[in-house]
Amino acid sequence: MYEHLMENIGGPVAFALEFGDIVNYFSPYTLTLFILAFAFTVLAVVSRPERQIDIAFGGDAYTAKVITLQEMRFRRFMAIACGLASMGAMVSGDIFNFTLFTSMVGITNVGIVAAVRNRHVLNAAYEYGIVAMAATLPLFGGAAIILATTGTLSIWELSSGTWTVPAVAKGLLGLGVIGEGMAPFYAAKAEMFRAPGAPYVIMCSLSSLLIFLRVIEIIITI
Amino acid sequence: MMDWTYSAGLFIAFAAAGTAFWSLVKENDDLHRLILVDLLEVITLAFIALAGTDLAEALILPGLVVGISELMALSEIYLRKEGLRNQPRNMLRIEVMDSAPGIIAAVLVVYGIILTGFSGGAVAGLGILFYFTCKGHEEIPELVETASGCAWVLWIVAFFTFILLPQYWLFAVMTAGTAILIKVMAKMALVGTMRGGSDV
Amino acid sequence: MIISRISQILSDFENLVPLFAAACLCLAVIGILTLPLAYHEAQLYPKTIDRASPLDPYDRGGTPFNATPVIAQYPENSPYLGYVTSYLTPFSLFLAENTLHLGTTIVSHPGGILDEILHNTRGLDTVVETSILFTAFAIAFYLFRRDG
Repeated sequence: MYEHLMENIGGPVAFALEFGDIVNYFSPYTLTLFILAFAFTVLAVVSRPERQIDIAFGGDAYTAKVITLQEMRFRRFMAIACGLASMGAMVSGDIFNFTLFTSMVGITNVGIVAAVRNRHVLNAAYEYGIVAMAATLPLFGGAAIILATTGTLSIWELSSGTWTVPAVAKGLLGLGVIGEGMAPFYAAKAEMFRAPGAPYVIMCSLSSLLIFLRVIEIIITI
Repeated sequence: MMDWTYSAGLFIAFAAAGTAFWSLVKENDDLHRLILVDLLEVITLAFIALAGTDLAEALILPGLVVGISELMALSEIYLRKEGLRNQPRNMLRIEVMDSAPGIIAAVLVVYGIILTGFSGGAVAGLGILFYFTCKGHEEIPELVETASGCAWVLWIVAFFTFILLPQYWLFAVMTAGTAILIKVMAKMALVGTMRGGSDV
Repeated sequence: MIISRISQILSDFENLVPLFAAACLCLAVIGILTLPLAYHEAQLYPKTIDRASPLDPYDRGGTPFNATPVIAQYPENSPYLGYVTSYLTPFSLFLAENTLHLGTTIVSHPGGILDEILHNTRGLDTVVETSILFTAFAIAFYLFRRDG
């Protein structure tokens, strides 16, 4: 049925998970990323959040930031949702489905930091959210151009080499993922990491790295 | 022939996207940026629509929903960030709002349930929203939120029925239809009441 | 030296939106330059417009309560393909037969090609979509309720 095994990057496909037109696949590459996302989701579920302590320079004074339980629960929920979205994006075998999972990663990333009661962090989250929202244009635009020019969205079909995917569509897809995940702009995300809550902010960083790695695989494969 | 139609459409879409991004480069005001990215979402839909098939039409819905939900979350962040919490004080108060809500809301909800599906949800949501606007609302949002969550679960049940037990497709499509009705209704009502009530 | 300057610009989140927008602007210009792109004629779920149909703008093909052929990506994964397309609730069937412009749209009634795609063959898309909406609502409502 799925005769075009992708061997150019991820090795042979171990097994495929069928959801109608959307056939997810687990190749060594995607499976590794999937396990990574899964492990960090479990970590977010079980770990206890940090307590951030600010130490004043030149003295013994320090302040511990008080974080309400409610806020931590909300952020844990967002981190878990982010982990699930990344897991979905890692194994998705359909371009449009992948873009949807990617935008979910983007919005959960905003959610993880948006709960923080700190104006500076909120500012950063807002800027980041604007970029994530603008990134849906290249993301969905790229997927739509692929659909119109090849007549399919399935990565299985596209990988067979029968179709030529326009380079501009690949570029749009890549740029969209960069916008959603800020993958190469970690320095800018540092403002978001200023927020307390260690295991959860890690999820922001990890998920964007994962979707970036995955989109590289997709761009090379199709 | 078709080739040129598609390329012409793409040209316009790219030009519109370019214009929008150019204005985003120039714009510094946060609120204006929010409006600009909302305009970008419309161009996104144009890109999808250019495929011109039923599939494209089906894909527009997720695209639209992603845009709306991100806009909603971002505008709430904007409000918190700027510390804007002024609520409208003198809202519209006319006599019909005291006497009519029950019946109009009931008519709209019943009509929405008859319509079912997405537009049914919108109509029924409007009914509930009208009721809340007129009668005030204190504890309702929690209830509506729970209903919306249950509808989401229903949707997932329908999805797995389609995948695992395709012979029960009729049950699945009905479940999904009901779920979307409740979900859209709840979301509409919530968006409308999120302005803040007398208890805050 | 240059790298540290670039990273300094990148690290300021105020510059993020203009930078990203500029990158997208460049790509839009490249997109225009690479036109024309060939439209692939053999599409999935093709759309036909039948001006003579009573459901004209919303007629998505297929006859209610009849076998409806649907061009899906992997028909073998959906054994009951076409059944949802051909289904209409009795009430919507009545409306479809007696009024104009009531085809099978997602915005109205269960059944129809869009339901077939959104619920059945590409159901996972819709699941993700509703999850996104759910997450966004959770964020907005959490912020709303916290500071009220």
